[in-house]
Amino acid sequence: MNEPDQNEISTLLREALPPMNTELRRDLWPTMLRRLEQPSARTAPWYDWALAGSVAVVLCLFPQLFLLLAYHL
Amino acid sequence: MNQHRYLRAYMAGIVAPTLFLLVVLAVFCIARFGLKVPAPIEQVIVFPMAIMPNVFGLWNILYVKLQPHWHTPIGLHGALLPFILAPFGFFTASSLGLVKITNGGVLYFNALYVPYGLLVFVPLIGIALYYLVWKYIVGSLNALVGLK
Repeated sequence: MNEPDQNEISTLLREALPPMNTELRRDLWPTMLRRLEQPSARTAPWYDWALAGSVAVVLCLFPQLFLLLAYHL
Repeated sequence: MNQHRYLRAYMAGIVAPTLFLLVVLAVFCIARFGLKVPAPIEQVIVFPMAIMPNVFGLWNILYVKLQPHWHTPIGLHGALLPFILAPFGFFTASSLGLVKITNGGVLYFNALYVPYGLLVFVPLIGIALYYLVWKYIVGSLNALVGLK
């Protein structure tokens, strides 16, 4: 392939493909900052706390269940 | 990130029981050999130690496999596991003579007597613990390895 052919192909490609928009449509940094400042959305619901508390209370009242649970689970 | 999904699920699943069983083994060893508790736990402790991490890993693979068809919350999926494990453990121990059923309760390892009234709490606590462990530990690890 000689030089004029390459130039011709290059011209054809430029004409066929739309020009790329390399500019950002908006500034992304403020969104990123807001995301970083958000508190963690993953907080345990009240019923999970209640469940964990109930388990802890039962195990404190009947500590012999520890061994049983350790074997069975 | 879609490669080796089941391997990642297995690895995320085995973390919690592997860590927990080390603690359990340490407590059992101290109780048995340090405090001379007359319970022959060493006859059966190897069995759950070998089985449990694999069961957790395979159960997590099942969870990942079922997700596209059956959108079960991971806590609920984990809470189903004691329904398989607890009877399996009980029948294994009773067939080895380590659990004896008496009129008033169950005698474990010839050392730990649990009356039937107290035994009622065991499955409830087990299900609650499994629900919490799967929801918060296995679920977090699944998210960490990109399975959510």
